[in-house]
Amino acid sequence: MSIVQTLLVFVGIPAGIIAIIYVAVYGKSMVRQPNRYRPGRPWEYAASWYVPHPDAVVDSGAPSPSGTTPSTTAVGGASGEW
Amino acid sequence: MSGEVAKAAPNELQHGPRADLGRGDGPFTPRQLARIDEALTLSSRETGLVFSVYVGELKPPTRAHAEALFEQLTDNAVLIAVSPGQRVLHIVTGPVSAKRLPNRACALAALAMRASFANGDLTGGIVTGLRMLADSAGSQ
Repeated sequence: MSIVQTLLVFVGIPAGIIAIIYVAVYGKSMVRQPNRYRPGRPWEYAASWYVPHPDAVVDSGAPSPSGTTPSTTAVGGASGEW
Repeated sequence: MSGEVAKAAPNELQHGPRADLGRGDGPFTPRQLARIDEALTLSSRETGLVFSVYVGELKPPTRAHAEALFEQLTDNAVLIAVSPGQRVLHIVTGPVSAKRLPNRACALAALAMRASFANGDLTGGIVTGLRMLADSAGSQ
């Protein structure tokens, strides 16, 4: 066996097997991250506020457009930590 | 399904569909956004209350910040404020919505949400919380 053949067999094939296993294990998370939140990791996304579509809100209690003054006060609720 | 979630930046609450969301910039994938949208729309339509979900950092004291955000809403609103970075969630009810949703019901929903969040399932926790709150409030 020449040096090239030896390298291919003893370095190339193991490296190829390692690469296949690596892609099989980590490939999916490298391409896309379906669940990007991990407890304990920092949260670097901009704050976002989701409200229902206006036509889903039956009465006139739709959130007021931007620029209005405070219109209600907090009465109750609950809190939690995890 | 309408497919888009109305999104508003803090301090400038907007409503209406925004189709340009969920293309990789935000924390949620389009499918996750669709789930949140469905839960928000269904629970609001079912109960007549206006549910909204805030996901982002809350300045300490976090409860006061959540209540300040809530004050931009209406009397029949329910705010679910989640800060994944601080691992804190707050549910805030107003003068009208508190009559439909006693604090005990909110605490139960918060408990279920905490369980999902602790597992890293942000979307599942939000959807579960919305459903539990809507079930507790009942139909109008």
